[in-house]
Formats: sequence, C-alpha cells, structure tokens
Amino acid sequence: MAYTPQYGPGSSVVAENRRKQMNPSISLQKMRDVTDEDIVLILGHRAPGQAYPTAHPPLAEQGEPDCPIRKIVTPTPGAAAGDRVRYIQFADSMFNAPCQPYQRTYTEAYRFRGIDPGTLSGRQIVECRERDLEKYSQELINTNLFDPALTGIRGATVHGHSLRLAEDGMMFDMLQRCKLEGGVVNYVKNQIGEPLDKKVNVGKPQDAAWLKANTTMFHSLVGTSYRSDEEYVEYIKRIHSLRTKYGFMPVE
Amino acid sequence: MVQNQMTDASYPQVRIVSHRLLKPDTVESLLVRLVAIQGIRRIIMNGPSIPATVPYGPARGTENPHTDRRSITVGDEEIELRVQVGTFLLEVEKEDIIPLIERACEEVFVNFPYQVQQGRFMRSSPTQVDHAKYGPGADSRILGITDPSAKTGPTIIQGYK
Repeated sequence: MAYTPQYGPGSSVVAENRRKQMNPSISLQKMRDVTDEDIVLILGHRAPGQAYPTAHPPLAEQGEPDCPIRKIVTPTPGAAAGDRVRYIQFADSMFNAPCQPYQRTYTEAYRFRGIDPGTLSGRQIVECRERDLEKYSQELINTNLFDPALTGIRGATVHGHSLRLAEDGMMFDMLQRCKLEGGVVNYVKNQIGEPLDKKVNVGKPQDAAWLKANTTMFHSLVGTSYRSDEEYVEYIKRIHSLRTKYGFMPVE
Repeated sequence: MVQNQMTDASYPQVRIVSHRLLKPDTVESLLVRLVAIQGIRRIIMNGPSIPATVPYGPARGTENPHTDRRSITVGDEEIELRVQVGTFLLEVEKEDIIPLIERACEEVFVNFPYQVQQGRFMRSSPTQVDHAKYGPGADSRILGITDPSAKTGPTIIQGYK
C-alpha cells in the first residue's frame, strides 16, 4: 500500500512551514549565496583549500567485508573518502527564527544522508563526514532555514536563544561571532569563537513580516499562538491521552 | 540583628525592564539621567554575562573581543560593563522620585517598550556566602548588589550628600 507521509498536523502557517521544510520533494528557498570557502571559515574545522584529513583509508582501498547491508547502502562521498566526522551547531532565537532544534532534526533526517543530529532545547548539532557536512551546511545557511540575525552558528557557548533580542535585533551572543554592520551581518569569528582573518558576509536580516510568515515556531506574543491552531491542539491532546492510558487501557 | 538592618529600612525599590537588551551607549545615557536624580541609594544592572575570555569549547581561554564589553562614564566614574544590560534594579529613598525615574526612561527608551515596576527586588538579608565573604559586620548597602564571588566591588558614584 502506498504511503504518503503527512509530516505533521496543523492548519496554521507555522504548521505549513514545518511541513514545507521537512518535505524533501519541496526544495528549500534559496535566500543568500555564502561561498564554499566562507562556510569552511565559519565551521573552522580545516583551512580553506586544505585537503580533507582522513579518519580511515578510502573504502575502495580498504577492502570491505562481504556484507549484504553494505551492498544495499551506497556510502556518502565523505564516508567513501574516509573523512573525519565533524559538526555544525545552530542556536535559533525564540523570536520567530525560521527553524528550531526539533524541526532541524526532522528536516535533516528527511533531506540528508549519513548524519547524526543531536537535539537540545536551545541548540541543535549535526555531525557527519566533513565533505558531506560542508555540502549540508551550504543548504542550511543559504536557504530559508537561516536568518542572519536570529540564527546563530555556534559550536560552543550557545546561550541566547531564549533571551530578549538586542537593540539592533540581533540574538544575544556572548562571543559576538557575528555583527550587524551597515545593515548586513558579518561573521567575525568561527563557530567556536576564534577570530577570522576576513569577515564572512551572511546577508541582511529578514524583516519581522517575513519572519512571522516563515517561522516554524509558535509564539503567542510575537507570532502565531499555539492555541490558535485547533488541529495541532487536538493532535497533542490525543498523543497525551494515549501516552497516559497506555499500559492501563491502550484504546482510543 | 545587625545583619538585618537592611530589611527594616523599607526603602522603595524599582525595576526597569526594557524589551531589548541594551547597548552600552543606551545604558550610559540612562545612567547619566538617573545619577542626576537625588535620592537613589543603589543601582544594580543585570543581564547575560559577556566574558573577557572564551569560557567553553576548544577556544577556551582565548581573548573574547566584544563591542558591548566596554567602559562607560557615569558622573565622574568609569564603569566597566561586564554584562549586556537588560534590567536595572533601583533602591530609592522616597517614592516621590519614581516619576522622575519614569521620565528618564521615557527619554531614553524611544525605539522599544519598557516597564517600570515597583516591588521588592533586592536581597534583604545576608546569605551564608555573604557572611563568609564580608563577615558579620558587613556594610548592609553592599549586600545583594554584587556577586560575592566577583573580584571587584561596586562602583561608588559621588552623590549629593
């Protein structure tokens, strides 16, 4: 029987945005053009132009054991080359950032291969082979999943997602990895807080109207309130009820 | 008890909360207006910390240049800001100067909303840590306004008395 994933419940704009981000048949909207070299600088795992350090020899040279699963699963380019596993981590402001940790993990799991996402309340990390990571990071930064002011690329000291925004609309960052300069956001440090030799421009922050229309977060004060989406409330009530009854009388 | 003198003196307290975290220039411009008002006993500025060095991660210990961690001048004193200020707690001598504080806020916070609230916001008796650090005869004005683990004390701005 053919199965069509629904991705998520809800009739609000937030629910629709969540589905759009998760659904791999809908391509993400390209918003900016941060180059490969700039991504490498922000990530801070290797110098631009440097060869990828390896964790093991390429699979082709290594001699794979006879394994039916390995015959089914094609290795990603990074795995085939034996790259190291590296990461990118994001913090998303609660003031209508376009993405948020759980949403990121779902989205990445639907769209990318060979990843290990880690979801926390205020940050989300994704680990994978280095060259795959750079490719995925491009997609995470250059599309509508990212806003220069409200999304932070933060490998460590991520504090800020739940704080009030600064006067200029930037999310608090104790390491000030990025600055708003002349209307555009420039990264001046890499994701762990080491100063960069050159600034990396990640573009103009989106305006409040765009953020409200494109966020995947409910917020009763600055965005769409959760209670306004009756379908979502009904869904969560059903899940809660089943969880509570399960083990005693798991029937609806 | 000597330590509890602060509790007995029921000075009115005020909390100013801006809806945005403030830049040092804005903090300076509000403080300059506040110190001109007679009858403010103590001011505490709260907000998330901006450390001098990177506190966690692989870059731990390296310098942390940050444009919002800098000195501001209030009265004749230089104040080294170590936090991004989001809240001011004030203790005043009389309630009738609160409208003056509200007026100062009105002048400074023009681009975003703010709230001025009245209540009890400062610690009113010494904690164990205060007792260990300052001893039983500590100046009651100092309690609750600096972090007992901090190496620096409060800034004293010469007032009108």
